Amino acid sequence: MKDLVEFGINELEKKDIQYGDFRLSEINTEVINVKNGTVEAIKSSESKGYGIRIIDGGWGFASSADLTESGIEETIKRARKIARASSKASDPIELKEVEIHQDSYTTPYKKDPFKVELEEKMDYLMEVNERMDIDERIKVRKCNFNAWKTKKFFASTEGAKIEQELLKTGGGLDVNVSDGEDTQKRSYPNSFGGDFNSRGYEFFENLELLEHAEETAQEGVDLLDAEQCPEGEMDIILNTNQLALQVHESCGHPTELDRALGTEASYAGTSFMTPEKLGELQYGSDIVNIVSDPTAEGGLGTFGYDDEGVRARKIDLIKDGIFVGYQASREGATKVGVDVSSSMRADGWKNLPLVRMTNINLEPGDWSKDEIVEETDKGIIFDGIKSWSIDDKRLNFQFGTEAGYLVENGEVTKLIKNPTYTGITYDFWRNCDAIAGEDEWKLHGVPNCGKGEPPQTMQVGHGCAPSRFKDIRVGVGKW
Amino acid sequence: MVGSEEEFERISDKMIKESDADEIEIRIIKSDTALTRYANSQIHQNIGQEDVDISIRAVFGKKTGAASTNSLEKSSVMDCLSKAETIAKNQKSDPDFKGLPEPKKGKKAREHYVEDTAKFTPEERADKVKEIIQMARDEGVDRVYGAFQTEVQNLFVANSHGVKRFSKFTSANLTTTAIADWDNDQGFGWSESCSSDVKDIDHMQVGRTAVEKGLNNLNTKKIDLGEYDVVLEPLAVQSILMYMDMMGFSAKKVQEERSFMKGKFGEQIMDDRVNIYDDISDPDMIGYPFDYEGVPKEKVEIIKDGIANKVVYDSYTAGREEDKESTGHALPMPNPMSPLAMNLLMDTGDYSQEEMIEETDKGILVTRFNYCRPVHPVKGILTGLTRDGTWLIENGEIKHPLNNLRFTQNLIEAFNNIEGIGEERKLFAMGFYPAYFAAPALKISDFNFTGTTEF
Repeated sequence: MKDLVEFGINELEKKDIQYGDFRLSEINTEVINVKNGTVEAIKSSESKGYGIRIIDGGWGFASSADLTESGIEETIKRARKIARASSKASDPIELKEVEIHQDSYTTPYKKDPFKVELEEKMDYLMEVNERMDIDERIKVRKCNFNAWKTKKFFASTEGAKIEQELLKTGGGLDVNVSDGEDTQKRSYPNSFGGDFNSRGYEFFENLELLEHAEETAQEGVDLLDAEQCPEGEMDIILNTNQLALQVHESCGHPTELDRALGTEASYAGTSFMTPEKLGELQYGSDIVNIVSDPTAEGGLGTFGYDDEGVRARKIDLIKDGIFVGYQASREGATKVGVDVSSSMRADGWKNLPLVRMTNINLEPGDWSKDEIVEETDKGIIFDGIKSWSIDDKRLNFQFGTEAGYLVENGEVTKLIKNPTYTGITYDFWRNCDAIAGEDEWKLHGVPNCGKGEPPQTMQVGHGCAPSRFKDIRVGVGKW
Repeated sequence: MVGSEEEFERISDKMIKESDADEIEIRIIKSDTALTRYANSQIHQNIGQEDVDISIRAVFGKKTGAASTNSLEKSSVMDCLSKAETIAKNQKSDPDFKGLPEPKKGKKAREHYVEDTAKFTPEERADKVKEIIQMARDEGVDRVYGAFQTEVQNLFVANSHGVKRFSKFTSANLTTTAIADWDNDQGFGWSESCSSDVKDIDHMQVGRTAVEKGLNNLNTKKIDLGEYDVVLEPLAVQSILMYMDMMGFSAKKVQEERSFMKGKFGEQIMDDRVNIYDDISDPDMIGYPFDYEGVPKEKVEIIKDGIANKVVYDSYTAGREEDKESTGHALPMPNPMSPLAMNLLMDTGDYSQEEMIEETDKGILVTRFNYCRPVHPVKGILTGLTRDGTWLIENGEIKHPLNNLRFTQNLIEAFNNIEGIGEERKLFAMGFYPAYFAAPALKISDFNFTGTTEF
């Protein structure tokens, strides 16, 4: 593999181009899905290939799985031809100067999930699945294990040479229940197949799926008879699994500089957080601090270097409630005059790197969740992602969770179903008046963030602790 | 480009011969995608991607295992076969698995491969984009955005029962968003076009429509929330069809009691003018004539005259019911989303969009929706926002543009409240798998808007 990278970068260096980089990856994945007492799917896959970026009057990118020297030559030719075509409608491109690295990085882990016997993983999931089988109203009970291992080589015509081995592991469980009249869903530790981290098999083991199987299934059944979420305005408390998605949608995406500059306008959308608001916009209350941190230990968006060769670094996005930073590429950072954030990431070798979230984390506060509940007269605790939607500038959002818990006079009184809440991003975050502390802070993995054309899927992380938001509209729509 | 039909056949013949498995399936997907993205009236991303994926499903009794690789090297392919077999041997038996599909004769399929699309160059894409940019500038719009994509998709499927099929098709898709700027205000407009033949893409028409919408979308106003008549352009209807498909049109969802069709077969659940069907043989449709298990795609009349009629099957879900056969709607297996309707069409009616507007006392015209998500899939409740051009209709005329609105609406109710169906339909690429939907415009009464945004 290294030889091919050497060959590729040598070929690029021979060309009369402004810039070129060569990124070769080998990706191995393993998935096991168990459903209703049967192993629905076990699949092992591997994918190898490379992507080449060139600036030659404009941007050009070509990728291929042809791992021969002639294949690489052809792909360079294609990327260059595309770059020349781009120059028909492109201003000069300038990349922010960054430190050039020759280095390597490996995800720290204890136990390689690919070396754990298939049978052991399967038997464990079968046991978890059986443990969920507690009521005939449970129509679907699922659990899963997933692991990804990526070997990456990056080299640029500026002299960068970086080798990385990234490992990610996780899993989860969920039930769908129906009584013929209504259906509900409940999952653990979260939707989207559970929770995921940049760690080894030890992370999957620590999820303790077996210990949570029965209670999750029972709460799914209980939801069928639960009261409908009330309509109105009240305080809401977001548990970390839902707050992670709130951070993702209403802070992660709008602080992507490419969106703010309009380069996703025709697909994912733009952002209300435009450059003239940098340092000025009161995004949230003064207890709100949000960072982009690809160095966070175990985060699903943790790595050594991004796909432009920029070393992972933590930056502030929201400081004391004020919008202070962007997730920025080398090109975007030059245009706006901000720092690069080590956020350029590609989905596999086949795709072009884009500004993608790493770990976008809400910093802990100084409350405990118990204190937050005790000091809430009337409110709802939201838990478990179920429905999520936000406008293309990331202002108006509506979320629904699997379960809600009514809080009355400082106590949790009942389970409610179909809970939804809606708001405008900055109003919502300005109404954040309590954030739990470090002890309850959790780093979740979201494995399915979509962006770009052709569509790319990215794995990102979000750390947060349970938080309260005042006077939020809940119970949207006709039921 | 690596791989050819003959090479795929040779690889699959060898694997079928060398495999120890009781049954074996080889699926090879080869894709070549070229895409030029433009933003702020500049080309900012321009790519060419090629890849091949070989997936093997090995079966021992009722135990299946799958593995995939993207290398056609003999050692990689044989390693992949060995992995699939090892996984299958270590699998648990699935009593519902009734075996890989037998060969089945399908209707002769129309070819959706156009050489001009396959050979379309980066220079040609850039030229068309440049012409759109120039036209927009001439109209006073300095910011246009979008993507021009051409691709060739190849699918080869063979199994040890004698299934052996190959198909390829081309598609071309152009989108344009125009943002008109005037006195610190922004107007958004959108248009797109999709065909297997790049020559059918009228890039200037796409650009002009987006620019015209953008210019007419300046100075938006807010409107009180509540129920309104809506005129949904075809792209907005396509979003609704896509979510209906995901929430209800698959046999798996019905079997697992997760579909709004469950228990409703034979019942009138929508307006009797509604006909929704999956049909690769329709002249408006493009795609593969068979599914990812090599089963020919049948026409499935899902909603017939408003009645819940049928859902789509793959071989696994068909095997779970008496006397059912796959309708040819498997995704690459194993796959929790399978089966899925991937060539969905809705019948046209007799209304022009202009007539729908003329017959509206007070309503809202919607270009398209953004970020739709199910709120309660079995009840058919969806939420989402309008995007890139929303207008108030009063007394049969377009009055003024509106801030984008959020809807939270039961789709089944909405399709019972249809007042008019458009006389033309448009084809759209769905952006996941090779799926294409064709939808007409619709006029619907009492559509529930539950929120508004600031632009």
